[in-house]
Amino acid sequence: MRRLGLLLRLAAFSLLVAFLVMPQRFAPLFAPFTEYGAPPIYDQGSLLALAAAHLGTVFLAAAASTVVAVSLGILVTRPSGAEFLPLSRTLVGIGQTFPPVAVLAIAVPLVGFGETPTLIALFAYGLLPIFENTISALQTCPSSVIEAARGMGMSSRQRLLGVELPLAMPLILEGIRLSVVINVGTATIGSTVAAKGLGEVIIAGLLSNNTAFILQGGLVTGLMAMLLYDGMAGLEKRLLRAVHVG
Amino acid sequence: MIQLESLTKQYGPTTVVDGVTLAIASGSITVIVGTSGSGKSTLLRMINRLIEPSGGRVLIDGHDTSATPVHLLRRKIGYAIQGHGLFPHRTVGENIATVPRLLGWSAARIQARVDELLRIFQLEPAEFAAKFPHQLSGGQQQRVGVARALAAEPAVLLMDEPFGALDPIIRGKAQQDLLDIQRRFGTTVVLVTHDMDEAFHLGDHVAVMSQGRLLQYDPPALLLTRPADPFVSRLTGTADRSLKLLSLTTAGEAAEPGVGEGPSVPAAASLREVLSDLVWSGATAATVMRSDGTPAGRLTLAGILARGRAG
Repeated sequence: MRRLGLLLRLAAFSLLVAFLVMPQRFAPLFAPFTEYGAPPIYDQGSLLALAAAHLGTVFLAAAASTVVAVSLGILVTRPSGAEFLPLSRTLVGIGQTFPPVAVLAIAVPLVGFGETPTLIALFAYGLLPIFENTISALQTCPSSVIEAARGMGMSSRQRLLGVELPLAMPLILEGIRLSVVINVGTATIGSTVAAKGLGEVIIAGLLSNNTAFILQGGLVTGLMAMLLYDGMAGLEKRLLRAVHVG
Repeated sequence: MIQLESLTKQYGPTTVVDGVTLAIASGSITVIVGTSGSGKSTLLRMINRLIEPSGGRVLIDGHDTSATPVHLLRRKIGYAIQGHGLFPHRTVGENIATVPRLLGWSAARIQARVDELLRIFQLEPAEFAAKFPHQLSGGQQQRVGVARALAAEPAVLLMDEPFGALDPIIRGKAQQDLLDIQRRFGTTVVLVTHDMDEAFHLGDHVAVMSQGRLLQYDPPALLLTRPADPFVSRLTGTADRSLKLLSLTTAGEAAEPGVGEGPSVPAAASLREVLSDLVWSGATAATVMRSDGTPAGRLTLAGILARGRAG
């Protein structure tokens, strides 16, 4: 079973790379989805470059979400920051419920077209899973372990870095993974405000009524999200084994 | 010497610990007993200031504990709790090394101390130092918990129901280990339990708490023969108090001079065990033997019965 799963992932990965590197080879596959002799493969830019730009945007936003959400999660689970917990929950919740498209609409007049409004939208959208996981991980640290750490004279900083964060790591990493995967899909909307990304392919397809373009953009995005989810899960396991958590 | 002076803890209008004053001699074992909600754990946790007192003070060897920064104070006081609280992501060796590391001991000294403690607790260092807590049995985890509490050679060891989660056989072994180690290091132990048998078995002194007040603070025998409060009698139980009293004296302590007759009993056995032996075998006297095999004297049935009487 495990071997089969590995084979499927490898196959999916090879397919993705092959398509991005030499998309013209796949032209016959997509030709049936075009009409009136329109190009079956996106021809207004390199798919590989678009995919790379897409991932770059997602990772940059995820890094910012992680730094902010984890710091905020730590802050509101300290006794001194506990009173900010409801407020932060509300703010982060708004980030998740406010549609990213609306964020773009608000951000563009303020920061202009391009990558920046997309980063802002993805950043806000990706906060919630990381923040909530950080909080529940820190709140559910076994109380006897924390009590023992206090009783032995570890300072609050030593407890946080040496005990609480290592024990919270599995859940925090899971939150980051969720956030990244959600945003791989969400990032396609960035192309409406001229950010480089795979959304460009989909939008080009919509504008020129070319189903092949829409399919390409969608499939590449979906495949990347799936592979990232799997790949990050594998990395997490290795990392956690290395530090003996979980 | 640990002195508690009018130690009080209030949460809003509720008084959890109410003006407790007592002195604990260095190198002794004091057991604090009481029902749940009696304030016994709170009292213990005020000694290392896991809970800050609302009033009164704690002196250790004459020094007011409130004058030392808490984390420094706690590093000098061993602390072991029910459910051990071991760090699941650290090895047994790293767990035991926690406080020595905080104190900045050299790596060689830490290593030597960890190995020493593991051997004392019958955990072979080569086998156990690199294991993780989840790979140990409950009894082994508990021993590592106590070893960790003793790692920095504290003069005082606080224990909050340390054996509560163990089954009876392992608990008996853990109690014996504690007595051995306490004798070996001369540690001053303050232990909280709700188990009266444990209190009688371990305590040089027993402090009985109820509703935040200290009702009695005496050697175990006095709790039986001169209870200060009806609650103390209820807690110790009156049905088998004579047998409890007998269990507090060893055959060696009670032996009368004389020649041997009847069955032999070890000097370390309690009078309760000797009495049981005599009833079982139908004899009226026993010979007390030292551990080296020489006779230490004799015990008669009448002599034993006299020691089980009130006053």
